Parts: sequence; C-alpha cells; structure tokens
Amino acid sequence: MKYQIVIAGIGGQGAVFLVKVLSIAAGLKDQKCLGTENHGMSQRGGSVSCYVKVGNFYSPAIDEGQADLLIALEGNEGLRNIQYLKKDGGTIVVNADEKFPQIEYKTVKIDAFKKATDGELPIQALNVYMLGVSLAKDPNFPFTIKDIEEAIRVMNAKVADKNIAVLHKAIEDSRSIK
Amino acid sequence: MKKILMGNEAIALGLIHSNVDMVSGYPGTPSSEIIGNFQKFSKEFDCDTYAQWATNEKVGFEVAYAGAIAGKRTCTTLKQVGLNVASDALMSASYIGHLGAMILVSADDPGFHSSQTEQDSRSFAKFAKIPVFDPATPQEAYDMVKTALDLSQKFEIPVMLRPVMRVSHAREICDVDDEVDFQPNRGEFKRDVGRWAAVPPKGRFAQGLEQLERIDKIALYNWENFIKPRVDELSSSDTLCLTSGTGDGYVREAVEDMDIKADILKIDLPYPLPKKELENLFKNYKKVIIFEESYPCMEEQLSSPNLHGKLTNDVHKIDEFSKDKVIRAFNNVGLLEKSSPYQNAKFADELPVRPPNLCPGCPHRDVYYAIMKVFRKKKSIYPSDIGCYTLALNQGAIDTVLCMGASVAMASGFSIADKSKTVIASIGDSTFTHSGVAPLINAVYQKHKFILVIMDNSVTAMTGRQETPERANPGEINLKHIVEGCGATCMEHIYTPDLDESIAFMKEVKKKHEETDGPLVVIMREFCVLDKERAPQMLPGIYATVDPDKCVACDICTTQYKCPPMHYNEDHKIEIDPFLCIGCDACIEDLCPTDAFIEREVK
Repeated sequence: MKYQIVIAGIGGQGAVFLVKVLSIAAGLKDQKCLGTENHGMSQRGGSVSCYVKVGNFYSPAIDEGQADLLIALEGNEGLRNIQYLKKDGGTIVVNADEKFPQIEYKTVKIDAFKKATDGELPIQALNVYMLGVSLAKDPNFPFTIKDIEEAIRVMNAKVADKNIAVLHKAIEDSRSIK
Repeated sequence: MKKILMGNEAIALGLIHSNVDMVSGYPGTPSSEIIGNFQKFSKEFDCDTYAQWATNEKVGFEVAYAGAIAGKRTCTTLKQVGLNVASDALMSASYIGHLGAMILVSADDPGFHSSQTEQDSRSFAKFAKIPVFDPATPQEAYDMVKTALDLSQKFEIPVMLRPVMRVSHAREICDVDDEVDFQPNRGEFKRDVGRWAAVPPKGRFAQGLEQLERIDKIALYNWENFIKPRVDELSSSDTLCLTSGTGDGYVREAVEDMDIKADILKIDLPYPLPKKELENLFKNYKKVIIFEESYPCMEEQLSSPNLHGKLTNDVHKIDEFSKDKVIRAFNNVGLLEKSSPYQNAKFADELPVRPPNLCPGCPHRDVYYAIMKVFRKKKSIYPSDIGCYTLALNQGAIDTVLCMGASVAMASGFSIADKSKTVIASIGDSTFTHSGVAPLINAVYQKHKFILVIMDNSVTAMTGRQETPERANPGEINLKHIVEGCGATCMEHIYTPDLDESIAFMKEVKKKHEETDGPLVVIMREFCVLDKERAPQMLPGIYATVDPDKCVACDICTTQYKCPPMHYNEDHKIEIDPFLCIGCDACIEDLCPTDAFIEREVK
C-alpha cells in the first residue's frame, strides 16, 4: 500500500499536529511512514504545507501529481497546492464555503469556519475536524477511526477526549456531504 | 525499539545513545530542535549532561571543542549560515584535533525555506578538511551520529553531520537502542602545548601535514567500511547513480516509478572520497550521474569522462531536489526520452498571497509602524537584521538584510556614506548579543551617528522561542548595561499595545538622536505573542471587528500595518478574520483614520 497526503493550511491551524497524528497511526500499525513539516519563516498566519507518505517510500517530499489526498484547512491554501494531487483519483478535502471554485478533482467541501463561528466546534480543533472528514469521505484513506483515536491518545492523552469528540462529530457531519 | 522521531529528535537521541555529555549551539532553522530534545532526553533518562544555548555559533563550537580536547564526547549544533560564524574556530580545530570526540551538526536548507543562502555545509567540511556524513532520513541521522562520533574518536578530529531540512524536519518510525546506558566521560585536560597551542609557521605546518595524511586515511577508511560493501551488491547495469543524502530518496523513487534500469550507489560520507577506487568503478559503466544537494561536493572530488552532474549542466544547480529534477537529469544525459510525470497544472487563477508575516498582535508591527510614522521613508534608511522582525519587510519598514548582526555595522556604513538621511537600524535581542555588540563598540569608538532599535522580546523567537541570556539571567545580564558599557547613549521603553504611545516615544527618540553625537540605542521592551509565560498578561483580550459603514478602503491598514486577520471582503470593505485576531487591541482607536476598527463583542 502506498498513500500520499498533502496537508495545507495557515500557520497556527495545526497542520503539523496532523503530521504527528498520522505518523503515530502508521507506527501503531507497523506501517512505514515518512512525514515532513515545512516550518517556514512565519509562526502564525503564513502558508504551511506538510507531507505524509505511508508505505514504502525513500524520500519525505511529495512531487506534483502524486498525492492521493489533499487536506486543506483553508480554501486558498488548498488551491495553492492543488498541483500535488494525482490527476486521476486525487481527492481534496477542503474547509471552504460555497464560493470554492469547481475544479477537476474529486472535492469534499465543508464549511468548518462557519461551524466554528456557530459554536459547533472549537476553532482550535479544526485540524482534527478536517482529518475526520477525510477519514469518512475518502474510501482509500489508510487508517480507521480506531487507528486515529488511538494515535490521538498516544499523542496527548490529556486533550484526547475533546479531540476524539471532534473527530466523531466530523464523521457524523460528513454524512450530509454529497 | 521502534520510535516515531523527527530528524532533530533522532539526532538528539543518537547523542544520548553515544554518551555525548556536552552540547552547545545556537538556534537556526532547521537545526534548532536538537538541543531542546537533547535536554528533554537527558531529563527523561536522568543523564548528567551539559546542554546550553551559546551566545553565537562560534562560542557554541569553541565550548564543545574544548570539551573534546579535554577528552569528552561533545556536539555543537547550528545551521549552515551559523557555520560561517563558527568557521574561524573550525578551520584551526581541523589542524589541531582533540582527544575525545566531537560532532558538528550543521543543518542545511536547500530551497531557501528559511535561510539567506543555500550553501552546502558538505563543501565547507571539504574546505576545512573534516569528514562529513550526509543522512537521508531520520533513521540514518540517528545511526550516523553514532558512526560519526566513533570516527571522530578514532581519528581525533571533529566530524560533521549534515542533515538538510527534509531530514531535520522529517518524521519517521526509527529503530533505536532499547536501553539507555549513559556513561558520561571524565573530562581531563592533558597539557600538550605543542599541540593545543601550535605556533605558526613550524607547529601549524607540521599539523597541516598530519591533516593531509589523516584525510587520505579517512578516504580509504570510507572505501573499505562504507562504500565497498555496497559496491559488492551492485547489479551492474549500464548506468550508475552516485547519490548522497536526500538525493538518494528522490533517485530511488523516480527510478522505481519509471522502471529505469540503473545501479544506485549511496555515499554516506561524501567527503573525503576514495578517488582512485571510485574512478576505477566508473569504468564499468557507460554513464555515471551524481545526485547530491546542493553543491557539487562529491563531483568536485572526482573526474571521469563518463561523469555527469552539476558541473556538466545535467543536474540542477539551485533549489531543492525533487523527483522531477531526477527525471530531467536522465533526459539531459540521453538515458530517458519519456517526459517527467511529476508535473501538474497549478490552479489557474491568481490566489491571494500569504507571505511570511509577523503574527497577529506582534509588538514588532507597532514599533515599525511608529518608526515609519516618525522617520519618513524618503529621509531615512532602515537597515535590519535576521529574526522575526525581518518580516516587517511587508510593512516596507526594512531596507537591508544581510546576515546576523550586520544591521549595526551597516548603520555605521550608511551614516558615513549618505549623510542626508537618518539611519534607523533594528535588531533583535538575541541577534544583538549574538553579534551586535562588537559593531556597536566600533560605532561608539568612531562616533557614527545613527539609531539602533533593539527589538527585545526576550526570546529567540523565529527559531522556536529558545531562551536568551538576559531572560535566563535577568540579574546579571541586562541589555541596557551592555549598551551603556559599550559607551552608547541608551533609551529604554516598555511597549504597550497603544500605537499613539509608541509614536510619541519615537518622537522623543528623534529629538534625542538630533542631540546625540554618536549612536543612540533604543531598547524596546516587548514580548512575543507566542510566549506562553508572558503573553497572556500582556494581551488585553480586546478583539477587533470592522464597522463597514466607516471603512473607506483607504489601504492604510493593509499596506502600512499588515496584521494577518485584516483583508478585503467582496464588498471591498476591510474584514477581520475572527479566528486569527489575538485580541491585542492595537488597531482599535489609533490605526484607522476613519475609526472603522471597533471592539467585537465576545460571546
């Protein structure tokens, strides 16, 4: 099995947290995994992109046209990294409203900012929420709910319950996404 | 034991597992997490170690190097441009050597992700005549720390480990030692004046001869121990790819994806290379291509008519490696006609750029805003330095960026060269203690008239908020005393998120500068919004929003202030992103000429 994920977002949204969770999930299943975090220059508010490669890979970087999944914590950051998706079969899971443009990739769209504004989820957990949507909507996603739950517990047991609740909410909400 | 480790974490654990008990370095992306992790592991495994941030890389190197002279196993960590600062010590240490072991971790940044240069530390090792290991993954980084220390002990010479960003900041499931059996080394200085204080010309000439002999021996050692066992496993196709570090991963994946028939020989120690042995090997191949980043370090050591690389214009010479670049190299040498599958269309429409920017609520933004209000652009020169505050480039508040500490001496230079303008330079607190003090003494000594603003947030912020000398020892180290000790006039100001107050203070600075015969140093006591200890007390928690009826789209906030939450909406009115606003209150009241920023009610 080979599966490549690009995570795009804005500094402070917790893209690096997702790299850690996914690496731990792979580790728990004894799967090979390479992740990379581009820490970049700005601490908050700049573009951030991270890569996770599950399976037999040698290099942590992802080339254009190679990613199975693009988790976009913000719409424009998703579009900025769209070239990394596989031309056929790549899926983008994006936090965006109805203004997000039509693109030639399978698109799973959910307005997590609105949900946060409406008080449905804490904004700090947007990353975990989008991970939950990815897990629910991409049939090839290499981890189960249980895998991710366990990884979240290993990562930080103290806040695990809150994050797992968000994960479940995301999966529940995903049912209403076409 | 399997453990998920980031590259820098793997290096730190490798140091613990190799009985290294002295680590000294200066932060620099992507090397910064090594010392923090080493401190964490020391605590976790109850190891008696010294691991501290030095004031700069030269100091860090020298502390660790003296430890190795005295028989300890030591390490210094820095980034590639930090190696330039430490280079004076390194060049001589390579002649003299040591009795213990020392590893110099110099982390490179191909692709300029967060560095001023793309220089290759391997080439620097070659220049200094010390061996260098080039890991491709966190696992290799862990393993090579051990090998490098053993090599260092055996040949009594500092050995470099050169991880690139894609190693330091990569994450991998690593196989590491199950047990920690930490055995600190007894430090004992053995007097040997002829060696530790070798005097030119005779003493150093003799050491120079030893250095040449030693590096030849290590080249042979490299062949016997690291290269030959891999040569014996090659399958003998027509093409040989000689790889080093991360170059190896890109080549292996591309060759596998594209079904290219080629032998791949990975070199762990790209300097010193066994020239004769490798060139003999090349005779078995029609073509040999060298893949390494970022300089032709291996290529410059070898010659053969069938050799292709950067020097023959077949492999890229700048920017980070990618599989696409591997394919293009194969195209260039005529081994592959298929075009690269690693290219894909970018999103066609223009996207709003999100350049590196100061964090929302960062005091630096207000200080630069005040500087620009008081010292108008046409009549001023703004030299700056290396740190978070460099991001005030976005506000148009910075004219020059060169290297650590350069703002001060460049302010001197500009004050001499262009007397028609006011020179107002800016430097961070950590950068000032790193290399700003010597040029300040120079400026006082020669009465150079300029203003130097020390943007003091009490952390080395950009590299991840490492501790600074003053923060750790507030009783003993005081920036104001340092500045006054240098003989400069000093003004100190405690920042508050009140723009008018910052502007009023800058007006006082202007007046004082006019009266001062020499450099005027201003210490702005700020804080870092990411500083969990200090920021909560400093941020009032008053969040902003916009009264759209008042916004006239004048652009002042988006061009001169540039706080990340501020952006235009579809109605061409400014909007504040509620998830980015940190509640500093600075924009409310003083920033907007039509008072469009108002307090947002928080539920």
